[in-house]
Amino acid sequence: MSNPPKPALECRDVTVKFGDVTALSDVAVSFAPGQIHAVVGQNGAGKTTFARVAAGLVQPTAGAVDVMGEEIRTGHVSQSRAAGVELVHQSFALPPSFTVAETMEFGATGKGGIYSRKSLAEKWQSHLAGLDVQVDLNRRIRDLPIETQQGIEIARALVMDARVLILDEPTAVLSPSSIDMLFARVRRLKERGVTVILILHKIREVLGIADTVTVLRGGRKVEGPLPIAEVSAERLANLIVGDAIAKTLDRHERDALVGTKSPVGEGAGHLENAKGPSVLSMKAVSTRPDSEGTALDSVDLDIRPGEIVGIAGVEGNGQKTLVRAISALADLASGSIRLAGNDVTGEPLAARRAIGLRIIPFERNVEGLSLTSSLWQNWSARELLQGRLLRLIRPSAVREACDRSLKDWSVHYHNSAQKAGSLSGGNAQKVILAREVDREARLIIAAQPTRGLDIGATAFVWQALRQARDRGAAILLISSDLDELFDISDRVVVMLSGQVNGEFRAPFDIASVGAAMTDAAARTSA
Amino acid sequence: MKDSLTTVVRSLIFVAFALILCALVFQFAGYNALTMLWAVADGAFLRSGAIEQSLRWALPLFITAVGVGISFRAGFFNIGAQGQFYVGAICAAFAAEAFKGGPAFLVIPALLISGMLGGALWALWPGLLRLRSGTDEVITTLMGNFMAGLLLVYVTSGPLKDPSGSGQQASSRPLDAAYRISDSLGLSPTIIAIAAAVGILMWLLVNRTAFGVLASLAGRNGTMVEWQGARLWKLGLSSFLISGALAGLAGTIEFMGPNGRIASGFLPAHGFTAILIALVANLSVLGTAAAAVFFGGLASAALYLPIMAGLPAAAIDIINAAIALFITARSKLVDRVLRFGGRPS
Ligand SMILES: Nc1ncnc2c1ncn2[C@@H]1O[C@H](COP(=O)(O)OP(=O)(O)OP(=O)(O)O)[C@@H](O)[C@H]1O
Ligand SMILES: [Mg+2]
Repeated sequence: MSNPPKPALECRDVTVKFGDVTALSDVAVSFAPGQIHAVVGQNGAGKTTFARVAAGLVQPTAGAVDVMGEEIRTGHVSQSRAAGVELVHQSFALPPSFTVAETMEFGATGKGGIYSRKSLAEKWQSHLAGLDVQVDLNRRIRDLPIETQQGIEIARALVMDARVLILDEPTAVLSPSSIDMLFARVRRLKERGVTVILILHKIREVLGIADTVTVLRGGRKVEGPLPIAEVSAERLANLIVGDAIAKTLDRHERDALVGTKSPVGEGAGHLENAKGPSVLSMKAVSTRPDSEGTALDSVDLDIRPGEIVGIAGVEGNGQKTLVRAISALADLASGSIRLAGNDVTGEPLAARRAIGLRIIPFERNVEGLSLTSSLWQNWSARELLQGRLLRLIRPSAVREACDRSLKDWSVHYHNSAQKAGSLSGGNAQKVILAREVDREARLIIAAQPTRGLDIGATAFVWQALRQARDRGAAILLISSDLDELFDISDRVVVMLSGQVNGEFRAPFDIASVGAAMTDAAARTSA
Repeated sequence: MKDSLTTVVRSLIFVAFALILCALVFQFAGYNALTMLWAVADGAFLRSGAIEQSLRWALPLFITAVGVGISFRAGFFNIGAQGQFYVGAICAAFAAEAFKGGPAFLVIPALLISGMLGGALWALWPGLLRLRSGTDEVITTLMGNFMAGLLLVYVTSGPLKDPSGSGQQASSRPLDAAYRISDSLGLSPTIIAIAAAVGILMWLLVNRTAFGVLASLAGRNGTMVEWQGARLWKLGLSSFLISGALAGLAGTIEFMGPNGRIASGFLPAHGFTAILIALVANLSVLGTAAAAVFFGGLASAALYLPIMAGLPAAAIDIINAAIALFITARSKLVDRVLRFGGRPS
């Protein structure tokens, strides 16, 4: 009989405090080597903080970290690296202007030096190929799709001889097919003996990939690591949100959250509510090609009040340009856009927002928030822009209004002077929602509104969008998550290569929607 | 509130470090460090009349520095305060020629306004270049400083030349005494009133208007403000123009007040000291006032160093440079020592 193997990573009573905020309290957890471990929990539960402690980016207030049975000095990236712990961040941190080969070289050695492009490319080619990352090594990071960037981050971590690889919400930025690819990569790493810790939100994903699961809530470990065979989706959902909240979810929400329902979406089917003239009416809109995405090619789109229209499509088929065109941030080549009865084709965004356009943008940390500014400034930007720039404001009054609004949206924060960058990912998203989903909203563009949100917050956002819809707002929902689209859309429009490639009504048939997403020939309408 | 207090304390610690470093340098260079520090303190604030002298330097510096802070907040690194200061003074000097003989109560405001317009003009073109075609404003405004310096040489030895000048330094014809806003000591109720008005207005602008909040957001993340529907160039250009106008106003005050004329190459470090002040103050208006008094004190002490401590007046430049060094090298160490909290970013 042999001793059980030493845990790959063990946290012993780790506590982390940021000022008055306790992000982790007395977390004791140990991860067996060579397995895939999932860490789950609500927004602000402390998952990222846990990962940052293991990677040496955060110095715990108390407690110790062992890697392979050896205690490491906490709070030093170099120590964690030397012990073989690598972290791939929630929002990637690759230098956008570097080429792939340069990124690999610099990421791996941390040193500068004199190289030729060619020698670097040769050096890293085989390494990336081993992970099935197909990429030209002389391309720049900023020109690469997100899943490739992620592959490079993982590859970079592996060059460092990672024995413990932590991925912080790797699936949040990926389309369903890329998620499958990521999971295949992760399984291959497991075969190589690497211990992988995945921070995830979706229960379906946890059950699909992990060997064990650990649940954090409010900075404490609730349970885990539990062998995956011993937990059901139901039980996991309850562990994450806590029994008290779990009881308040209705069956419909629960099914959607757990993500184990049948592939035929029932849809919201509220089309009878949608009446009156269109809030958004796009006629044959084409945009000039630019570097930011596939151009629109004569898109017609109408959304009436009281209707949620979902946009389905493989990422990069013009969804971003669609949002930018409606927001006056992309140049139109032809066509017209009407908003609530007004022709706004040549109007700037400010005018469109004044009519009731609201935007939850794709890039939360860039387009949605200024991370180094305070919460109240971020929250108030939209209102401050309505009206004269030189009018006097009372910051204390603005902050009170902000506090009220953030409370309504149950954002977990300390005070409104706090920087937006200090919120957990999900709470940051809620700040944007609090700003954009108000009573005057006529058309709400929600681009990936639940990306990175925990299941409770996701349900919350869906409810908010439905309520806005029931108030008579029109909603354009763009999501790479088909379950989400099917669950709350009244109508689904598929985009392919910058064109509208089919329109579907509930009940949605996943097979025909899927076909329209990939095949230009399959034009369907129900 | 706690935030701004922390900032001030933090800055003061940096300044103290800088002074200690300077003292060490001078000690090794063979001077007596304690005598030097004492001479600085004495010359700046303790000697009788020192406060007035310090304020004489502090007020124009404050005006320019507030403007610098406004453009930095909006995310534009306008380092052209020196040039805008010069062009402001030059425009005021031309206006003085043009309005000669008019009643003082009209001419004085007209000159002040011309100076502000001149400074704004010297900020306008780098602003437009930056916002319309993305030209780096650091380069254009720096270039603008040299151009303005040469322009000053030209006007003082050409169109505005004082024929009776001694010839050592080209300078303009003196301003009529009726239009002077202070004697050569340089502190007068008018100047104090102008500085106070600038301070109050700019404090309101930064802290109590929609513009202030939005400009600061735009400075930190322009894309986000664009997605809110703001016209970035409007926020950016106004900030640029305000900073230019204030530097121009400071130049005009120097012209109409203590100097009474413009001379080629006068006050060559004004704009850069103002940038330093804005940075020490972390761009807050109140902090700028405090820092301006401090640096005004140093400027006035510079005149006493040779007498009191046998040091060259340039010692003050070394002190300024040392402070700049410590302020710009944002030290994590200090934060850690003082446990100011927050995540190290
Ligand atoms: N630098 C910081 N300053 C103050 N509070 C912080 C800081 N970093 C994290 N927190 C707080 O610590 C708590 C845990 O944050 P953490 O980022 O670990 O959450 P998370 O589980 O990763 O959430 P999400 O799913 O939203 O990414 C949150 O309440 C967050 O606001
Ligand atoms: Mg997180």
